[in-house]
Amino acid sequence: MTATQWLTRALSALLAVALLLGSLLVIAEVVVAAADRGPWLVPYTDWTAWMRERSWNDWVVNTILVGLVVVGLLLLFLAVRRGKPATLPLRGRTPGVDVKASRKSVERSLAAAVSRTSGVTGAEASVRRRSTRIEARAATRSQSGLRQEVESAVTARLDSLGLARNLRPRVRVYPKDRR
Amino acid sequence: MRSRADTANRIVLFLLGLLLVAAGGLGLALSLGAFGDWRATYPVLPEEVRTFPDKEPWLWWAVAGIALLTALLAMLWLMAQLRTHRVSRLDRTTDAREGYTTLHAGALTKAVEDEVGGIPGVTRASARIHDHPRLGLALTVDMTDTADIDRLRTQLENNVVGHVREAVGDLEFPINIELRPDVRRTPARTVT
Repeated sequence: MTATQWLTRALSALLAVALLLGSLLVIAEVVVAAADRGPWLVPYTDWTAWMRERSWNDWVVNTILVGLVVVGLLLLFLAVRRGKPATLPLRGRTPGVDVKASRKSVERSLAAAVSRTSGVTGAEASVRRRSTRIEARAATRSQSGLRQEVESAVTARLDSLGLARNLRPRVRVYPKDRR
Repeated sequence: MRSRADTANRIVLFLLGLLLVAAGGLGLALSLGAFGDWRATYPVLPEEVRTFPDKEPWLWWAVAGIALLTALLAMLWLMAQLRTHRVSRLDRTTDAREGYTTLHAGALTKAVEDEVGGIPGVTRASARIHDHPRLGLALTVDMTDTADIDRLRTQLENNVVGHVREAVGDLEFPINIELRPDVRRTPARTVT
């Protein structure tokens, strides 16, 4: 699972617990109030008195409303964000066997393949859903032809990995002593 | 593949987010005078709204009913987070008249983990039997940075898969394999 998925899971569990407890509290307060008794755990009489005293343009009310909008936007962001994939499916070879490679393993494999290219001192790879970005550091200031060699190394490694979906390589070669 | 819990989380978070943005936005629009300047100075809880439930006693029971429904949905949502779909036993009975055959999932997964753990380049293996979306074995293989993914995959599919299917007596038993680097032993992603 990706960090976003972990965050979403944790937040969802917390929200579910809060909703569950909150709803049970509401039911309890309704039952207690029906028996002509005052507030049990939720001081709702204080809350209603506070809301009767405050107008819509009160700064405290506005702060709360801005807070609601901000929290709502954060939840919407978490809900629609797709992020990088945690795993990448590999082409099937055996019926009934699904093989996936973690994104990190593919990134490391690509970085290792590029770093073995002659004239490259180091490389970093970042895999997205449809493309992969490679940043290679050249050993010398001159980079003529190196970009093609790096691209070839990336393409060859991607072919050997056998990913189910083709990733478009985007290669950048940095000259020595510059990023 | 995204699990049902993840899909449910996205839907619920989207709806809750939309609700909060709509409520907050509407309140801010009120306070800024979008619905008339006089409304901006109006109390958040007007007297007629506060006294309305006193005239309609059924309202609180309706609120309690909605709260009960919300509590049930929240409980289902919470259970979806905790559900693992892990299976502890596999019923491999072919003919009940000849007796029952049960395979302990732990015995199978331990054997798989031991076999996979012995493959060069593998630092750790973890297996579990699940029943969702269908009965099958999920195998997670942690490997070193230097491990050849293609060769490792070949070994897993040629040997381990066959052994698992032989053990469960099903030559089409579904198996999901995830190959990943061992992050504890290989912290850096940059190769220099």
